[in-house]
Amino acid sequence: MSTRLNKALEFANYRTTLNNQQAQLKAKIQSLLSYSINGGTFTIDVTLITFCKQLIDEGQQSVVLLDIYNNPIKVDIEPFYEEIRSRYFEVTNEYYAEYEKLRKARKVHKILGLDEKGE
Amino acid sequence: MKKENNRGFLMFAHNNSEIDYFKLAVINSLLIQKHLKIKNITVVTDPHSLKHGEKTLGKKLIKKAINNIIVIEKDKKFKQSNLRLYKDTSHSAKTLPFYNVNRCDAYDISPYDETILIDADYLIFSDTLNHCWDHNNELMMNWKYQDIMYERKDPTLKRLHDMGITMYWATVVYFRKTQYVKDFFNCVKHVRNNQQYYRDIYKWPGTLYRNDYSFSIAAHMMSGFIDKGIPQLPTTLYKSFDTDDIHKAVDDKTLIMFLEKPKAPGDFMMTKWDSMDLHVMNKWAINRASEELLEYVK
Repeated sequence: MSTRLNKALEFANYRTTLNNQQAQLKAKIQSLLSYSINGGTFTIDVTLITFCKQLIDEGQQSVVLLDIYNNPIKVDIEPFYEEIRSRYFEVTNEYYAEYEKLRKARKVHKILGLDEKGE
Repeated sequence: MKKENNRGFLMFAHNNSEIDYFKLAVINSLLIQKHLKIKNITVVTDPHSLKHGEKTLGKKLIKKAINNIIVIEKDKKFKQSNLRLYKDTSHSAKTLPFYNVNRCDAYDISPYDETILIDADYLIFSDTLNHCWDHNNELMMNWKYQDIMYERKDPTLKRLHDMGITMYWATVVYFRKTQYVKDFFNCVKHVRNNQQYYRDIYKWPGTLYRNDYSFSIAAHMMSGFIDKGIPQLPTTLYKSFDTDDIHKAVDDKTLIMFLEKPKAPGDFMMTKWDSMDLHVMNKWAINRASEELLEYVK
């Protein structure tokens, strides 16, 4: 096989591995952005955080929110907000660090965190 | 009694001539203790599998991993008749007995108020299943799954039949002891005991009895004959398939894996699986990586 073709195949392999690894990283982050309380489960996102902040600004204390199953869950809004906000930044910071690591890896073994021998 | 004391994991582990399910259950129990901080673990096994485990792993390690072992006798007739094709990648395949007949007894067997029933090969690498405890939903299992080779799609795994009901995965099931859940498991038992009848109605493929089928049928019936009526777990079910392989275990939550390319059977790409629970279908692959995994979790 010619060197050019070999290089092209190697690059294709690198892209496939990178895409799969990025999809996995996204999935991991998504699972970390899940928060369960009082028998319900919430996905932490910008909308939820903003909504909670607005409720606090309006002077609300205990509110009913719909969780991912659309079940009504009663929560104390301030500690709930503090918890989801802190988790959000913890997880997105981790996401940024891992994403940058992947972005800079230009070889398959580097994406996987292995040496050239695969050890 | 504290709520935490009445929560636990339940696994079934019955070896066949090639696959050491009991060893997988021991490794998984140690992973559960490490990542979920749960000590209540019940494993249902048979005298032969337990004896083999004691010989190869030692009683001390088994005691450390599992705090409740339930020994039952196998139904030999079922064992001989329920044969399944196991693959160790596309390069090797073997037909072996698949002993899964007693999983529908989980409700009666479980000593806990809240139970997470998992396959021994559903490896726990994170604490996400802790989201289930004390949940409003008394019964949860997944119908959605995600192949860890994201390009690979298999539409045959979505339904029992092309025109049939949605397939639920019995790989991970959360349940509380309530009348509804008791009835659900009774329904699963009814499917198991009347396989031919339900096979004709729901048209599940082949002759193999799978818990995924009986749990799916019970889910359909117990939801008032509505599709997807039982809520899903708050976690995604990630799966690798029997055509994939494990290169090595890097630590107690990371695997380097070979995933078969969808358009090139027998050819692989590599992936690093990190900090998420994973259903590993290639049992030989886990057995090969089991010593490494044991070293990390012992």
